[in-house]
Amino acid sequence: MASPRAPLPGLALAAAFLVLAALPLLLGASNYLLGLLISALILAGVALAWALLGNLGGMVSFGHAAFFGVGGYASALLAGKLGLPVLLTVPLGGLLAALASLAMLPALRLSGPYFALAILAYAQIFRILATEASSLTGGAAGLQRYPGLPTVFGLDLASRPGAYALLVALVALGCLAYAAIRRSALGLALRAIAESEDATRVVGVNSVLLKAWMLALSAFITGLFGALNAHIIGFLEPDYAFAGSWSVLPIIASVFGGYRTVLGPVGGAVVIYLFDQVVAKGLIAVGHQILLGLLLVAMVLAAPNGLLGLLERKGGARAGA
Amino acid sequence: MLRRALVAAAVTLGLAAGCPARAQEARPGTEQQIREVVIGAHMPLTGSLARSGQAFDEGMRVAVRLFNETAQGLRIKLQVIDDESAPAKAVSAVEKLVSDGAVAVIGGYGSNIVGPASDAANKLATTYITAGAVSDELTARGLKTFFRINNNAGYQRGMAGLIAELKPASVSILASTKEAPALLAKGLARDIGAAGIKVTVHEFDPAISDFKPLINKVKLQDRSEILLMSAYENDYVGIIRAARVLKPPVKLVVGAWSLATPKMYTEFPDLMNNVVGTSFLPFPVAVKDEEGRRFAEAYRQAYGKDIEYLSTLSFVETTILAEAIAKAAEAGTLKSGGLPETLRATDRRTLLGPVKFDATGDNPLFSLAMGQHRSGQIVLVSPPAAATGPISYPALPW
Repeated sequence: MASPRAPLPGLALAAAFLVLAALPLLLGASNYLLGLLISALILAGVALAWALLGNLGGMVSFGHAAFFGVGGYASALLAGKLGLPVLLTVPLGGLLAALASLAMLPALRLSGPYFALAILAYAQIFRILATEASSLTGGAAGLQRYPGLPTVFGLDLASRPGAYALLVALVALGCLAYAAIRRSALGLALRAIAESEDATRVVGVNSVLLKAWMLALSAFITGLFGALNAHIIGFLEPDYAFAGSWSVLPIIASVFGGYRTVLGPVGGAVVIYLFDQVVAKGLIAVGHQILLGLLLVAMVLAAPNGLLGLLERKGGARAGA
Repeated sequence: MLRRALVAAAVTLGLAAGCPARAQEARPGTEQQIREVVIGAHMPLTGSLARSGQAFDEGMRVAVRLFNETAQGLRIKLQVIDDESAPAKAVSAVEKLVSDGAVAVIGGYGSNIVGPASDAANKLATTYITAGAVSDELTARGLKTFFRINNNAGYQRGMAGLIAELKPASVSILASTKEAPALLAKGLARDIGAAGIKVTVHEFDPAISDFKPLINKVKLQDRSEILLMSAYENDYVGIIRAARVLKPPVKLVVGAWSLATPKMYTEFPDLMNNVVGTSFLPFPVAVKDEEGRRFAEAYRQAYGKDIEYLSTLSFVETTILAEAIAKAAEAGTLKSGGLPETLRATDRRTLLGPVKFDATGDNPLFSLAMGQHRSGQIVLVSPPAAATGPISYPALPW
């Protein structure tokens, strides 16, 4: 079993996120850069949820696009058709994504690649449902006219700075929740399940129930960020909301950053998104993805534990010198 | 360890935050700089829609070149960003283009991309024009900065007009569930049905590649006279290939965009003969006016091929935008938000027919002719006013 990390200093983490939130705003970052950071943070939120499921329960998911899409559609429909306030529909989008995860409970009997394939199939089912339920979802044409993020206490959340600050806060909350669960006795049991489910059952842990809770939590976080994305982008269609990239990119970000850590998926998402869109696209305007591919290969070869693992190794080596 | 990671992340963000500040400095801000005006564009230059994006890109570049050759005291510079067919990246592209000084943005391909991107442009009070999105939702938003030269209704008019001329007893529509084909199929079913013709619509998921079960329905259940396709290139090929095997008792195969093109005949000569699709030019290309001749010649010179549908769409939208920019610059309203109003006053004939924008930014005069593949040539067969020859009917590719 992987050794548990040292407990995260919650206050330091919160302070660090506050600095991250303020830095681009204080430096007068343009809408363009804030837009990139917003996209990166949405990816970071989903990556965090994916890594949580993998670390706490040992479930490798290729279907997080389902939760992302359900959260987005649920929030957009509740706000657009029922007129509920967006600040309420966003968490409701997360809750409905968690509810949708109940449909995946039969897949919890499976493990490894079988679970991954089953959840991938679920994601396709939700995409088809969104296409076919056209009277509700607008079908293939999608949804466009629904409210964006509101203004709260004078802060326009629909503006780039407002949306950025909101996303930093939510990613920070997600990290704190993940770290808290990880440190708890529950987290110990879940990490044990990830290593050997049979052995954990033998000592009396209800592994299916714990895995179900983690699946629901991961779905909730993913749905929450799906809902925020829907209100930030202002357009939803099945092919976009349930796109395979919402399943694959979080995996890449997590592996790149170090999926065994709490901050690895977040750092990975921010670094790969900014590297791809700012550095690689600046060097090769068309076909820049090749540079990202090379970076990923290099990272996996040089640091199988991800970016944070590499930084930790470097730090350890320097300390030992 | 954690502290170092956070510091590294903060430095990364901080460095990146500095970049756009430089970009903003380049924004034109004086009358002298207005001499060179930047038009931004975002297109899918990679990925599954790259072929369409490249064609749009080529048309835009030729339009800018021809405009610059004749413009007095004004030079247009084109800045294109690959939006990778991703809405968030298209929005970022618009924000970057505007922060780099673009006075207007030419939009990409697909309503899912154009919707959020044009919203972003509107928030930045920047004019946005497109020829790649036909959803009615786009114009229903009532954005003052949004314009498009083509729409669903134009394709619908062209195809429904042909069906009305042929007067079949029944029509089967095979429609992709993707947004634009689904909308078109819905409109066609309504229009054709209203003319007293029996219509059966079969929707299919864009992921399917074996169309034999659908063609069997047309053959055994519908027994329609005309097979109508509302889909994209790969679907057309799959449908006609399946029909060639099963031979339903139809008299004509008709499709929508990107079908009646020389490229489709070159790539699939055994599937395309006698097939009809939306078009505006016959092949070999025969343009009647001076603007069309200049475009065709410059395009051939630049890319070694004849003009085609998508490049012509982008040529027209870019030319119209460039002309409006020139007028607004001359009137001194370019920097004070006068471009949308100048563009709205457009009223001219183009290679695509007349272009005039309504209050929603749509071009209600957009309409396409129908072209039929005939042994490597494309003959315009409908409407009668645009026809370059009579239709072969009944006529099938097999």
